[in-house]
Parts: sequence; structure tokens; C-alpha cells
Amino acid sequence: MDPRLGRRSFLETGAIVLAMPGALAACGASPRSVAAPPPASPASPLAPFADVFGVDEAMIRAALAELTSRGADQAELYFQSARSTSIDLEDGIISRAHASVDLGVGLRCVVGEQTGYAYTEELTRESMVAAARTAAAIASGGRAAPPERIQHVALPHQRYAIEIPWRDVGVNDKLPLIQRAAALARAADPAIAKVEISWLDGESRVLVCDMHGRMVYDERPMTRLYVTVTAERAGQRQTNRANIAARRGVDFYSEENLRTVVQQAVDRTMILFDARRPPAGEMPVVLAAGASGILLHEAIGHGMEADFNRKRISIYADMLGREVAEPFVTIVDDGTIEHERGALNVDDEGREAERTVLVERGRLVSYMHDGISSRHYGVAATGSGRRESFRYPPMPRMRCTYMEPGPHTRDEIVASVERGILAETFTNGQVQIGAGDYTFYIKNGWLIEDGRLSAPIKDVNIIGTGPETLRRISMVADDAQLDTGGWSCGKRGQTVPVSIGIPTVLVRQLTVGGENRAG
Amino acid sequence: MLAELTERADDAIRVARAAGADEVFASADRTRGVEVQVRDGAIEKLEESTSRGLSVRLYVRGRYGTYRTSDLRPEPLRAFIADAVAMTRALERDPFRIIPDPALYEGRSTEDLGLLDPAILALDMDTRIRWCMELSAECRHERLVSATVGANDGHSLVASASSNGFRGTHERTVHWRGVGVTLRDEGDARPEGHYWVGARHLADVPDTARVGAAGLEDAVRRLGATSGPTRRTTMVVEPRAGARLIGLLLGPANASAFSQQRSFWRERVGARAVSSRLEVTDEPLIVRGHGSRYYDAEGIAARPLPIVTGGALVNLYVDTYYGRKIERPPTTGSTSNLVVRPGARDLRAIVADVREGYLVTSWLGGNSDATTGDFSLGLRGHRIERGQIGGPVQEMNVTGNLLTLFSALAEVGSDPWPYGSTLVPTLAFEGVQFSGA
Repeated sequence: MDPRLGRRSFLETGAIVLAMPGALAACGASPRSVAAPPPASPASPLAPFADVFGVDEAMIRAALAELTSRGADQAELYFQSARSTSIDLEDGIISRAHASVDLGVGLRCVVGEQTGYAYTEELTRESMVAAARTAAAIASGGRAAPPERIQHVALPHQRYAIEIPWRDVGVNDKLPLIQRAAALARAADPAIAKVEISWLDGESRVLVCDMHGRMVYDERPMTRLYVTVTAERAGQRQTNRANIAARRGVDFYSEENLRTVVQQAVDRTMILFDARRPPAGEMPVVLAAGASGILLHEAIGHGMEADFNRKRISIYADMLGREVAEPFVTIVDDGTIEHERGALNVDDEGREAERTVLVERGRLVSYMHDGISSRHYGVAATGSGRRESFRYPPMPRMRCTYMEPGPHTRDEIVASVERGILAETFTNGQVQIGAGDYTFYIKNGWLIEDGRLSAPIKDVNIIGTGPETLRRISMVADDAQLDTGGWSCGKRGQTVPVSIGIPTVLVRQLTVGGENRAG
Repeated sequence: MLAELTERADDAIRVARAAGADEVFASADRTRGVEVQVRDGAIEKLEESTSRGLSVRLYVRGRYGTYRTSDLRPEPLRAFIADAVAMTRALERDPFRIIPDPALYEGRSTEDLGLLDPAILALDMDTRIRWCMELSAECRHERLVSATVGANDGHSLVASASSNGFRGTHERTVHWRGVGVTLRDEGDARPEGHYWVGARHLADVPDTARVGAAGLEDAVRRLGATSGPTRRTTMVVEPRAGARLIGLLLGPANASAFSQQRSFWRERVGARAVSSRLEVTDEPLIVRGHGSRYYDAEGIAARPLPIVTGGALVNLYVDTYYGRKIERPPTTGSTSNLVVRPGARDLRAIVADVREGYLVTSWLGGNSDATTGDFSLGLRGHRIERGQIGGPVQEMNVTGNLLTLFSALAEVGSDPWPYGSTLVPTLAFEGVQFSGA
């Protein structure tokens, strides 16, 4: 109800969190699009989008004029029409649904590194101009020249085209898929006592119009299916989860994909009955390919976001150009991988999303930039300016963060460890970008003894410091893959969808939150 | 304004009933928020916005859905609600789903909980900027890299109504101020300190000099942090860090987790499961409390609810739906103010009696399993040596089981952290597994 109350806890601790979303904080959605279009002149570049947002060119011009009336280095209107639907199944019944529609515009005026921001959900000329006046109060110069014309710039790429937009897919097409997933889970093992399925679909349609009259429209679909399984054996219970997520349409939920995610949830649950805590202390940690990309997100990704560096509060602030890892380590943040949760055609400042190499053959080569930081450093923006919604100004964020394949094999890596652990699935991670200490939580993994996987482990937190961990990456396998599960990244109160990936990797030494015998 | 919101909620009920809903619970809300941020003495961000929306819960022929929109134009809104009813009708019949018994709406407190402060409503931008400049001025240090400070406030109004007789409104203010300070340490490390405080009334927030000094101190005490040795030892948790632990312990104490067999409390209700030193009550009627309320999200009249008494879980969070599933009467579906009953001594006195151990000042990541109670958390804090708070530690984890941990609760302090809805004093535990160097 009060977005500002929720944002406090993030500001309070400086915490930056990556979490497997239990329930995506969905803003926006009805079963159908309901915006009432004002008549748009066919000559206007806005014509194709006027019915989505209910605005016309004159309104945009008036808001832009007010927004830049005291000068600006960067200013834009960010219109968003988002809708989402979530549906839950438990105890064999589709027990509830939630749908939301979120419509509004965020107005930002940037002078140097100062930001004035306001938003309104009332898309009238009067409200938009009033919000523009509020945002413009940050500036104190002369009026910026108004754009000669508003020009629609076509998307440079389409990275998540889907056949049927989610707004045109009815509940009746979704329920059988949800019920199918539940039936598969119930049938998977007689020990399974409870099955919960959580479905989410939706899209966000955004229109970015900057102070120069450059206008970009993007439509971003998203879907996720979450499977939670609780099993009972000999009076003991275990719960675990798996999910799949992508910028895809309803055809994403093939029988094969449903079977895969259900089997993941079941396997990850059943093995917990035999799992134990590893010993506590420092030891080698092997990160399995895929979801272990959480390491990159926490240990280096956040620290390479340029806002933290231009403010000099990141541990990486003085490290650009330095050798930080072995030469077989290359780390990338990439918005261009089709249909990934972290994929973008353009970022939330309307810039083309790109593939940004952060660490190239062991050397730190680039931060992730938004408009403010690219001007600060005098470099090109990397298309990393993202925001949760029109209610927030953008900042540099990760998209899909992964490590390129290396020269070793998974078998070689496991065989090289005398006594340590292998980490397989995770539920969350966190980092302090200045001190550099980060954590991630292992839900499933294995003990390694004498170069072999010896016993399943569970529920251990791993902690290390970013630059030290990079230096300790001693082997990288050739089996790079992206995680198929959906991740959400929280930074300063804003949550955005991201992807992660990695090949099998050996970190020579990390602190494992295990348990030694009492006494 | 509240009358206008009430009218909007009533309208939504009419439209939904006309579209075929059997029962409806509707809420209309409006929140104004202002945020000022200053970095190193220069304004970094000014933000001011008003947000509004309409939420409805629909009961249609035994089916149930919840809906929210920020598009309040009359035509789109009517279409949204009609679509919502149609969507709900397409779901499955759920025999446990009913609107709350209106008898539960009765008995609402008539006391003034003091949740609205006219002084916050009257704030102007210059005052907030001046506070930020004062906070900024406190953050002077030879090792200072950067200090970002802020002053924010919010004013929210909500009106709710239901088709079976619920009516309620509430209006709240909140003001937050705080600092985040980064210092240069040895090597590349730049430790951060944070201090944020918030209250429903301006008068309950410490002045800028105290807040700024506390934020700087929080960063200074991080300088030179190292990892401590792996061992089982005493853990003392600062009041500011206690809410996370209490949240992990009591998060699974609800009917939803019970019904899905995802709670380690499930077979332990009413029997002593943790140290009898632990006493926790849900207190919705604290004057000016962060989590105070007259009624909960379902409209159930708020009243104090003992949660843990003498180390036994005596009540669960039970809403109407899950209450029917597990055959327990509804209490309330969510926490208001969670109050851990304070003991006699403060942090300093408790630490003075600890021969060796760790003081936890904040958590970093980690998680727990609600089904088994197993947890593992990253932490930052200090060594405790012979009754004294020693050097800072980081890169450490604490691992165990929540029931075992709280069974080893040795003392509860007298000093709850007041700037949140979970009011937890210093907590001391014995024989806790730490992992580090």
C-alpha cells in the first residue's frame, strides 16, 4: 500500500539481494487491456501506442517542455502499462488468482548527477505537467530547447517475440497446464504429501520519450511456473522447489518443460531426507554449472555497477584495468540473449541493450553504465539502465550475468578436490559492495571426499569477499550453461528480473557455514 | 479524502455485484511520498509522488480472486472489475473459501492509536533539505569516501468496505531519516555503516546530530574487520539485528504453512519447544506503533495475541481460509507489532558476563528451511573477549536449527530497537556454531 515503507528496509542496510522469487512482486494486470484510447492523428508517430497509454503528442510535448523548463542534461518520460496474472494451485484445486493493471508515467530530470523525479498514474495533461514541474525543481538553469519533433525509433532487435501476447491468453488455456504440472508432481513419488503450483504471466509495455524527442516502444513478456513439493518419510518432512521462467508465451509450457521442472522439484526434495550439514569452516567449493552463476552476480556483478563506482563506494572502484582473475576467466553481463528473463531490446532509458564484458581473460575491463555514469566516465552507456516500474528512476543493473567456458572439465575439477563441497541449487544471495563480502545460500549440494561426491548436503550459507574469490577461481570447465530458473534482483528497493549462468568452477577456498559436532 | 476513497470502494462493490460477484471486499488507497537524498553535501535526488489504486477480493460461486488496478478512469475501471469477475468465475470451486464471518469485524478498538502526525503533513521541501545537510555535516572522518543521507516521509490513506458489512478507514504518516557512510579501509575495502530511524510522529525520531553520529560510528566500527575462528560459542545479537531471527522463528507459525505441512511448529503447538525465557505477543494497539492497526487485511478487529508463552507456541496466525482448512478459528492472518518481552539488563551488561563469543550487529544473506527449521546465515559483528566488545568480524556464518538455537536462549535484554514493527531487545544464545577462518 505504501511503497515507501517497503523501500526503507533496503536503504537501512544497504543490502542488495538476489532471490528466487517466492512470489514475484507483480504490479499491473487485467485479463484484457482496458485503456481507453483517445483519438490519435494518423500522422502522429505516437499513433500506434496512443491506445496503450491514453496519451497524445500534445500532452507529451507539454510535459517535456515543463520537465526541461529549468534545464536538463538528461530528461525523459517513461510510460508503462503493465499487467500480470498469477494463479495458484494447492490441495488439488486452483485456489486463487490475482491480476493487476498498472498504468502510469515516470518523469525524470537529470542535471549532472542530480535527479528530480516524480510519477503519476493519472495520464492527463494537467497531472503530467504538474509532475514534470516537481521533477524539474532539481534544476535551476535556463529552459532547454524543446525537441523539433517527436520521432519514433524502431527497436534495433526483437529478442522476445511471442506468438500470442499474454493479454490474449485466457484462464482456460492456463488451468490445464497448471493441473498437469500438479498431477505430474503427485505421481512422481508416493512420499509426496503436498504439491503447490504457482503460475505467473504478464507483460510490460513501455514507451520512453526523451528530451530530444526520441521515442522507443518495447513490449516485454514474462512468465514463470513455480513447483513446491512437500514429502513425508518416516515422520519427517522436507520441502523444496523448482521453477522455470522466461520471456516467452504459453507455448513455453511444453510437456517436456513441465516434466523437467516437476522432476527438478521432486528430486531436490527427496534427496533432502538423506542430506546433512557439511563441516564448518574454510574449504574448496565446486560450483555446479548453471545456477551457481549466483556467485558472479554477488561477488563481482553488483560491485561493477557504475553508480557504486562513480560514488567510489564499490570495492572495485579503483580496479579497472587490473588483473583480477586467472586468464581463463571471462565474465559477461548480457542483455541480448533471446527470451532470457534478463533479456532487453532496449533498457529503461531507451538505449540498446548490449553484451558487456566485465572481466576479459582475467582483466577488469568495463563497468555497467546508465546515462548518468556514462557521462561521468565519458564512455558509451552499456544499456544497463533499468527500473522496477514507472515509480522509480533507473540505475545501472545486471541483465544476464555469466562466465564463458574454460579449459577444464567437470570431472577433472571434482577429482581435484580432496575434501570440500559441490554447490548445486541456491535460494538467495547478498553483498555489501564496499566491504566486498557476499554470501549465497546452498539448498542442495554434495560433500566431496577424495575426489568423489560422497553424500548429499543441504542448507549451508557460503561467505567470502568478491575480489579474493575471483583470485581463488582456479579451474573453469567447458560446460557453461544458463540457469533455467527465474531470479529477481533487489537493489535500493527496486526489483528487476535477471538471469545467471556459469560453467562448473572451482574456488580454492571459501567459508562454508556447516556444523561441527558439539563439544 | 477518506470519504472519496470510501465512495470508490463502495462503487467497486456495486459494480462487482452487478457483474455477478457473490461477495466483495474492496479497498481504495492513496499514498503521497517525498524523498530527499543528499550525497557528500550536494542534493542527489528529490522525489515527490502520489500513488493510488483500487484492490478487490472477489468471491464468485465458491471461486476466489484478488485484483488491483491503478487505472481509475471510470470506463477502464468498470471493465477491469467486470473482467475480474469473469476471470474468477473461470477458476475452480474451493469449498474452504468464504468471506470472513462479519462477527469478526466487531469489537474494533475505539482508542486513538496516534498513527497520523499533522507535523509530517506540514513538512516543506526546505526543511527536509536542511535536515539532510545537517545529517551530512555529521559524517566527517579522515577516512570518509562518501556519505549518502536521506529524509523521507509518507502519508497513506485507505478505505475498505465489504459486501457483508465491513467498513473501515485509516490514515497514517511516517517519517524516516538516516545515513549510509563509506570509509576507506586497508587495501581496496570500503566498509559501510548505516543508521536509519523512522516513526509515525516526527517527535519520536532522534535529531539529525544523533542519527548522523550513529551512522558514522556504525561505519567506523567496521574498520579492520577480519574473519574470526570457527567454533561453537556464545552469540549476542544486537537489538537492530534481532528482528530477522524472530522473523525466521515465527514466519512458519501460520495456518497456511500448517495446512501445506511446511512448518516445523506443526506438531509442537502448546508444548514448550524453546527456552521459557522467550515471550512474544502480537500487539496491534501500540500507540504510534509502526505495525499498529485497528483491523487486519481481512477486516478482523485487531486485538493482542500471545504467540509464544513460556517457550511454547500458543497461537498461530490464522486467516479465514486456512483456518477452515486446519480447523482453527481465525486470529489474524498477518503480524502487526511483534513484541519480544524485555528482560532486565541492556546489551552492555549482558556482554560483560560473556567470557568469549561473538556479537552480531547485522546479517548478510543466508536463509532457513521453514519445514525443518535448519538455518545458516552470514553475519558481521565483533568478537567478545572477557566481557568486552572487541575487534570487528566479517566473512562468518552461523548455522544450526531454529528450535535448538532458541532453546539455547540464555538472556533477553531490556533494550528493544524501537524503529520497526518487530520490537526485539538484545538476545544472547549459548553454544552456537560459527564458521570462519
